[in-house]
Amino acid sequence: MRKPGPGVGVASERGDRTTAADAETADVALAASGDGRAFERLYRGHVARIHSLACRMIGLELADDVTQEVFVRAWRKLGTFRGEAAFGTWLYRLAVNLILAQRQSRGGERVWYDAGAILETTPSAAREPELALDFEDAISRLPSGARQVFVLHDVAGYKHEEIGALLGIAPGTSKSQLHRARMALRGYLDR
Amino acid sequence: MRDQWTDRFSDYLDGGMGGTERQALEQHLAGCAECRSVLDQLTRVRARARVLPDQAPARDLWPEIAREIAGGPSRLSVRAFSVPQLLAAGVALMLLSGSAAWIAARRASPSAAAPPGPTAWHASTVWRSEAPYAAAVAQLQATLDEGRRSGALDTATVRVLLHSLAIVDTAILEARRALAADPASPYLNHHLADTMRRKLDLLRQASAITTPRT
Amino acid sequence: MLGTLATLATLLLVGQTDTTIGVPAGTRLEVSNPSGSIVVKGWKQSGVRIHAEHENSDVIELTLEGSVLRVKTTTRRSSPREVNLIISAPASMPLMLSGVQTNIDVDGAQASVTVETVNGEVNCRGGSGFVSLKSVDGAVALQQAKARIDINTVNENVSVADVAGEISTTTVSGDIALRNVESSSVEAATVSGEVLYAGTITDGGHYHFATHNGDVTLGLPEKANATISVSTFNGDLDASFPVNVAGASKHRFSFGIGASGARAARIDIETFNGDIKLRRPAELDEQHE
Repeated sequence: MRKPGPGVGVASERGDRTTAADAETADVALAASGDGRAFERLYRGHVARIHSLACRMIGLELADDVTQEVFVRAWRKLGTFRGEAAFGTWLYRLAVNLILAQRQSRGGERVWYDAGAILETTPSAAREPELALDFEDAISRLPSGARQVFVLHDVAGYKHEEIGALLGIAPGTSKSQLHRARMALRGYLDR
Repeated sequence: MRDQWTDRFSDYLDGGMGGTERQALEQHLAGCAECRSVLDQLTRVRARARVLPDQAPARDLWPEIAREIAGGPSRLSVRAFSVPQLLAAGVALMLLSGSAAWIAARRASPSAAAPPGPTAWHASTVWRSEAPYAAAVAQLQATLDEGRRSGALDTATVRVLLHSLAIVDTAILEARRALAADPASPYLNHHLADTMRRKLDLLRQASAITTPRT
Repeated sequence: MLGTLATLATLLLVGQTDTTIGVPAGTRLEVSNPSGSIVVKGWKQSGVRIHAEHENSDVIELTLEGSVLRVKTTTRRSSPREVNLIISAPASMPLMLSGVQTNIDVDGAQASVTVETVNGEVNCRGGSGFVSLKSVDGAVALQQAKARIDINTVNENVSVADVAGEISTTTVSGDIALRNVESSSVEAATVSGEVLYAGTITDGGHYHFATHNGDVTLGLPEKANATISVSTFNGDLDASFPVNVAGASKHRFSFGIGASGARAARIDIETFNGDIKLRRPAELDEQHE
């Protein structure tokens, strides 16, 4: 049996995150040159985040198909990735664009509820919720306009100007939809 | 509960409120417990959204993705690369190893026929995409060097990795020399790109080893 | 001792270890041992038996969390000492085994197997679904698996025999030998070493064999239908049966065998410095014996 070597497990000064970023940069370069296994590693590293975005934006039923389409499209467009942003950021934006395009092509509802309606249909903390929904479930039950804005702003970190450009609405409308979504979700914080 | 301020809470929370209005709201909050409670709830909703866990699909989507990208116009099935694509994959390595002769050969060679499917490369695209690849190689080589210095890689492993890197570098050198003599050869183009890719893969493996195992 | 670990309970075993625990069906086994050896044998019982030979300063942590049973060796010393783990686990239990200065052996697996070590040999007999075997400085051998197979090492040989499924395998300095393989998709690449394939050539399949320095030897069944592309810079094609070269350029030429068109498999063989040897499978068997 081999003699054990010294220093096994000593932490690199650059840290786990930097090493992981190095490996991902390499995988992007490998995948861009045709390495399918490298692309599979990228898939495994990002699928959860993309799938969750799809679930929250378009619903669980379509999330698998959309997630698959995102990665297929990412493979085909990888040659256009310049590396100015992180790969995950680029992939996420590609996913957002695809999901929104899917909603439009499927004739997805674009309903903008007024403040009164949304608060009546989705109980707030002032009243006991009739259904035992958790926070994620409550997001999925928001009206689609408010849901899209909430997911893009509070979950994904987009600014109102960007959301407005993506959804074709004024930034002011985005702000008011966000507020309505937050008000409606107050009752599900502890679930 | 709704008062004149409720609809402004999210804007206040997100820093979108001007100075005068913000001061007025803060003055109101100082005296209104109910409003403070609502604002606290909205703060918590926003915080909760930021830490929502990601959930992978219940089934593995990779096999279907792999079939689709292998079956359509893609890079997976391509076996021959044009010289510009070779540049995209390997010019950074050549610059790092300071091989002027190879670069000169690149300038003198006509482009080989581009294989079907992959993005058509042109000079400006090649130079723009060189940076990520060069950065990847440089970062990974630095990680390997640091692994040696810090002791994260033991001497036997370092010896093996350096030996293997030397083998790959020799293969790259031989392929480069052959390509310089026959720059239009699809096989040599592809082989050099493939061997350079092997080097990157090896460096990536070495980088992964330096990550402490939990 | 037969016991059942509750979820999230951790059992620390100090000194000589020989313990058997019950686990629910569907549990996955994860073993981490930085130095020494890991041997996992599939058995028909439902429990997991862990036998370890180690010093008193070493600790074997057993943790059952959800559907994962983790076996992890740690030491109170500044550097790990060798611990030899011998584990008997249900044959249907998926395995994830990792080490650093560790030889890893698996025998009788009937589920997925994922193995990763740095300095150590990997030997696996069995495996189903997905088998991934990785080392850096160590030979890797796989037998009797029916799975999607991914094998990588850097500085040693790869040996695969009696398997079925898609295969992808690479090494840098070492030979790759694939014998009695049933597959429609094979990727085998080394830089300095030889490649040998003796297996099926399936209609519509894709096979790619590559090396920089070394020969590639391919056993072609008589009834195979394939388009074969051979590329070499400094080598020869040596076929033990007639071939009719169709397309040819300076370093690459192609020819067909059997029926062409959509049915044909696609075979790509590349060696920069080395010969390409095409043989009938029986000839390879004679050489092997």
